[in-house]
Amino acid sequence: MSESILSITLRSLYVSSTAALVAFTLAIALSAILARAPRKRAEMVLGVFEALVGVPTTVIGLFVYMLLYPHGPLGFMRLLYTPIAIVIGQFLVALPMAFTSMFRSFYELKEGVRELVLSLGCSEKHTTKVLLRELAPVLTSSYLLAFSRAIGELGVALIVGGGIEGYTSVLTTAIAVRTSIGDYELAIQIGLILLCITTSLALILKAFGERVLWR
Amino acid sequence: MEVKLVDVWHSYDGFTYALKGINLALEGPGVYVLTGPNGSGKTTLLKVVSLMIRPSRGEVVVDGVKFWGLDENERSSLRKSVVYVHDKPILVRGSARYNLELGLRLRGAKVSEDSIGHYIAKYGLKDLEDRPVSRLSAGQAKLISIVRGLLLRPRLLALDEPFTFLDGARASLLVEDLAEIARGGGTVVVATHYMHKGLRDCSKQVIELIDGEVAQREET
Repeated sequence: MSESILSITLRSLYVSSTAALVAFTLAIALSAILARAPRKRAEMVLGVFEALVGVPTTVIGLFVYMLLYPHGPLGFMRLLYTPIAIVIGQFLVALPMAFTSMFRSFYELKEGVRELVLSLGCSEKHTTKVLLRELAPVLTSSYLLAFSRAIGELGVALIVGGGIEGYTSVLTTAIAVRTSIGDYELAIQIGLILLCITTSLALILKAFGERVLWR
Repeated sequence: MEVKLVDVWHSYDGFTYALKGINLALEGPGVYVLTGPNGSGKTTLLKVVSLMIRPSRGEVVVDGVKFWGLDENERSSLRKSVVYVHDKPILVRGSARYNLELGLRLRGAKVSEDSIGHYIAKYGLKDLEDRPVSRLSAGQAKLISIVRGLLLRPRLLALDEPFTFLDGARASLLVEDLAEIARGGGTVVVATHYMHKGLRDCSKQVIELIDGEVAQREET
């Protein structure tokens, strides 16, 4: 294996954190828009996203592949087998997770916060500020979940990234490739790194959040 | 602050009415008490008076101006004079102190240590200042939300069941403060099941609501 584990790890972190960030931002925007909708409609949209959480990543990978295939609708962009293709695919994988983990809290807190702001004689424009502060723990968890889902998926990275060493190889594809050629020792090492990243990030953010963000 | 309700009706679902043709005038300073059984419309009336909900029908006239006919900026400006304290306290994450200061912070007003210190000492909240709200008892949470309202020194203060969970001593202190606000030219509206003796003594008018209608008004 010519590419170092560090290089693969950094690429994985870059690709998955970007995908999670885009998914997270869109989930906030969607939540803000849907929070104004009647409860029934909002619940319906939430139900759709909850169903999408369980879609296999290989199916999402296939969908993105069809989009980016040279003869596909976005083929002219020549993104297939690039890190950007993985970002697009992982964004689709992470979006339902980010949205479903934040929306219910968004919806339920919104009305209480609005009531509070008005009761203190303030205008509704202050609602967003208070709401975002109230939602900080939920938003942190939501980003973490999106990131974990993105960095831990294999289907998209393999189908639209191709696991090209030195270019699109990420932790999960590296594990798959190493296992397939019988290099179990390296596969286990990379697996442990993946495990460390997801658990340590969660622990750090939780500790930091409880002391600073969530107080 | 004068608030007049003219033929006010309100429904949350478009079918059943919580308020039915309320005509009521809170004329001048004083303590007004709203009583009535559960579901009689006290909270809804209090929220209409506090300019928090727009009634389905009728007019809310504040100092001679139809409130809901004003534009958003004018409404915001007038709303600054009114504070409503919920029956179930709504507190945000953080310490009790943070919650006490919340209204002032949102308004961009200076947090006066003297004023906060006065209420903290008066209501015995010193030990609670740094405590996260998740660890407050029901009575402590209630006190924090009431004091948060008092700190804003509104021209109209509306309190929904303020005596629930409060011990006798603190309930009496609260009545003293409400009477003080009224003496200072403020309007206080209290919705309650429990008619505290001191509250009756200092009230200007007791209004009884039954099934969304004013059943009785008693000048005291």
